[in-house]
Amino acid sequence: MTDTVILNYVTFIYFTSFVLYLFRMIFLKEFWARLASFLAWTGFFAHTFALILRWKASYNLGFGHAPLSNLYESLVFFAWSIIILYLAVEWRIKNKSLGAFVVPITFFTMAYASIAPGINNRIEPLIPALQSNWLTTHVVTCFMGYAAFTVAFGCGLLYLWKSGKEAKYSPMFAEKLPPLPALDLLIYQSAALGFVFLAIGIITGSVWAHYAWGAYWSWDPKETWSLITWLVYAIMIHARYVRSWHGKRLAVLAVIGFACMLFTYLGVNLLSSLHSYL
Amino acid sequence: MSKSKNVLRSFFSSIKLTIALLVLLVLLFMAATFIPRPYGIAWLADLYHSPLFYILMGLLSINLIICSINRLPVTLRQCKSTHPPPSVLFENLENERIIFTDKIDAACRAVDASLTAKFSSVKKLKTAKGIIFYREGGRFSLFGVYIVHLSILIIIAAAIIGSVFGLETDVHLQEGESASVIQLNKDKGPYQLDFSVRCDQFVVEFYHTGAPKTYRSDLSFIREGNVVHKGSVLVNHPLTFEGFRFYQSSYGISPETKAVLTYTTAGGKSTDIMVKQGDVFQLPAKKARATVLRVEENIMQLGPAVKLSIEADKKHIQFWVFQHIKEIAEVNPGLLSEVPLFNPGLFKPLVFSLKTIEKRYYTGLRVVRDPGVPFALTGGVFLLVGLITIYFTAHQRIWVLVEQQPQRVKISVNGISNRYSTSLAGKLNRLRQRISGEIAT
Ligand code: HEM
Repeated sequence: MTDTVILNYVTFIYFTSFVLYLFRMIFLKEFWARLASFLAWTGFFAHTFALILRWKASYNLGFGHAPLSNLYESLVFFAWSIIILYLAVEWRIKNKSLGAFVVPITFFTMAYASIAPGINNRIEPLIPALQSNWLTTHVVTCFMGYAAFTVAFGCGLLYLWKSGKEAKYSPMFAEKLPPLPALDLLIYQSAALGFVFLAIGIITGSVWAHYAWGAYWSWDPKETWSLITWLVYAIMIHARYVRSWHGKRLAVLAVIGFACMLFTYLGVNLLSSLHSYL
Repeated sequence: MSKSKNVLRSFFSSIKLTIALLVLLVLLFMAATFIPRPYGIAWLADLYHSPLFYILMGLLSINLIICSINRLPVTLRQCKSTHPPPSVLFENLENERIIFTDKIDAACRAVDASLTAKFSSVKKLKTAKGIIFYREGGRFSLFGVYIVHLSILIIIAAAIIGSVFGLETDVHLQEGESASVIQLNKDKGPYQLDFSVRCDQFVVEFYHTGAPKTYRSDLSFIREGNVVHKGSVLVNHPLTFEGFRFYQSSYGISPETKAVLTYTTAGGKSTDIMVKQGDVFQLPAKKARATVLRVEENIMQLGPAVKLSIEADKKHIQFWVFQHIKEIAEVNPGLLSEVPLFNPGLFKPLVFSLKTIEKRYYTGLRVVRDPGVPFALTGGVFLLVGLITIYFTAHQRIWVLVEQQPQRVKISVNGISNRYSTSLAGKLNRLRQRISGEIAT
C-alpha cells in the first residue's frame, strides 16, 4: 500500500505546484514559475516511482498486471500522462505560463482518484475480459491522446484568457505569456498529436474487441463517444487546414473536444456500457 | 447538363460539405447514445442501420473521392516542377541565412560539398540571377493525406461488407449438447451450418476474492458424425472454424441440472432416482406421485437442495430435501419439528435424501462471420501509416543561391516545408554554418 501513500503526497505536490504557477500569473515573477516547475518535476518522479511500485506489488500478489485495470488506476495513469506531456511542452516552448491551466487538471484528477466515492484503490486480479495483451497498448495510447487533448485545452483556455485581457487592458499583463500565434500553433499541434494517439487507441481497441467481443466495432457508448471525440478533432484539423480557422475558434473547438473527451472517459459510465469495468 | 454536373461537382468538392457532414454525424451519434434504446425514435435507436446513416456515409465517401481527385493533380505538380524557386524565396531574407564571400568558384565548391555531404541527389541550375543548388526530400509526405482519406473509404467499405455479407448470433449450448442450426439475430431466421458444434465441457474458475478468473468452453466440431476439430474458447481467445469465429460471451446453470435422490422405506433403501426440474416420479405407497419443483445448487446458504411436491389420497404436501440435512439439523436443534418444510421425512413413512446434484452449465457462445474484417484491418493500417506520414514526415525543399554581386559573392540559403516545422529552420541554420566552415578552410 506504499504506492497509494506516495500518490497522496504526489497529489499534494501537484496542488502546491499549481498554486505557485498561479503566483507567477499574479506577481509576474519568474521565480515562482521555476519553483512551481521544480515541484511539478518532483511530483512526476514520485508519481512514476509509485506506478512502478504498484506494478511490482501486483506481481508480488501473484496477479502481475500493469496498473491500468480499474478506475483508480486509470485516473492515476491519466494524471501521469498529463504531467509528462505538460512538462515536455513546457520544456520545449520554454515558457511556464501554461502550468496554471494544465497542472490543476492533474491535481483534480489525482484528488478525484483518492476521494471520490466508490473508487477502489486495491490491487486486484484481472477479470477474464481484461486478460489480454491489448490492454496495456490500448489504455496507454488512449490516455496519451487524452493527455494531449488536455494540453490543447489548457492552451485554448490560455488563448481565450489572454486575448480577452489584451482586448481590455494591461498589455504588460500578457507580456510574459506566449504570443498568440505560438499558442494557436500549440493548440493545433497538441490536438493533432492527440488525434494520432486516439486513432491508435481506437484501432488497438477494435483489434481487442475483435478478440474479446466478436465484433471490432459494436457501437457501444464508449466506442461511439471515442469516435465523436476523434471526429471533433478531425473537424478542428480540417477547419484549420482548409478553412483557416485560427485563434479563438480553434481555442473554442479545443474546449469542446476536451468536454467530449471527458464524457468519453467518465460520463459514459452513466450510460450502460460494455466498458463498465473502467 | 454539363452545367448541372459542374454544380454537383463543386458541391461535392467543398470542404464546407465535409465539415457539415462531420458535424451532423457527431450530433447524431450524441443523440443516439443519449436516447434510451427501448423508447425513443425507432430510426435513432437503430441509427447505424438506418437509411439516413447510409446516406450520410455515401455523401461523405463521394465528398472524399471528389476532393481527392481534384487535389491529386495539384499534388503531383507540386512534386514535379519544383526546381526553380518561387520568386519571393530570396527576397527580404534574414541576415542569418546569408553569407558573403569573394570568389564565386570557391563559393560554389563549398555549397556543393556541404549539400552533398548531407543529402543525396543535389541539383544545380545556372540562371540569370546566379547559380542555384536545390535538394528535395520527403516527397512521400505529400501523399499522407491521400492515404488517410483512402483508409476512411476502406473502413466504410469494410462496414458495408460486414453488414451485407456477415452474420452474427448467440448460441446457448449445454454441456454435451450440440447444434448445427443457428438462429440469426434481428429475426433473420434460422441458418444451417454445414457442421455441428458440441460443447463437451464448460469450466468457470474463481480467484480467492470471488472474482471470476476463467471461463472456458471445450468445443468439438463434428461433420458426418466425426469429430474433425477440437478446441477451447476463452474470453479474449476465440476459435475459428470454417470462417466462423466462436466467442465466449456468457454462461449459466442449465435447467437440465440433475439431482440424485433416494428414499428409505420399511423395506430398505430405494435405488437412485435421477430427476431434473419438472420431473414426476411414482412412489410405492398409496399411489403417490412426486413432482420436482426446484433443483437448487445452493439455497439460503445451506447448500444443494430439491423441492418436492407429493400428491396422494387428496393430500398435497411440499418440502425441501437438503443434501446436508444432518449438519443443518445439528446446528439448529429442533429445526425439523419446527419447520416441517425442511423435514425430508414429512411424507411418512418415506424419508428422502439428496445424494448429490450434478450441476450442468450451459455456455453462451457468440458465433460471428464477418468478411469485412480484413478490409477493416487494412483500413486501420492505412490510417496509421497515413497519419504518421502526415505528422511525422515533411516534404522539405532547400535552395541555395550563389550570386555574383559587383563587390562580392552572396550566398543565400532558404527552404520550404509543407509542415509547420522547426526542423527545417534548424536544418537551414546548420547548412549555413557548414557552408561558412567550408569556405573558411
Ligand atoms: C468527406 C470527407 C473528407 C474530405 C473531403 C477531406 C478533405 C481534406 C482536405 C482537402 C485536406 C487538406 C489536404 C491538404 O491540403 O494537404 C484534408 C486533410 C486531412 N484530413 Fe480530410 N477530408 C475528409 C474526411 C476526413 C476524415 C473523416 C478524416 C479522419 C478523421 C480526415 C483526416 C484528415 C487529416 C488528418 C488531414 C491532414 C490535416 C493536416 O494537415 O493537419 N479527413 N482533408
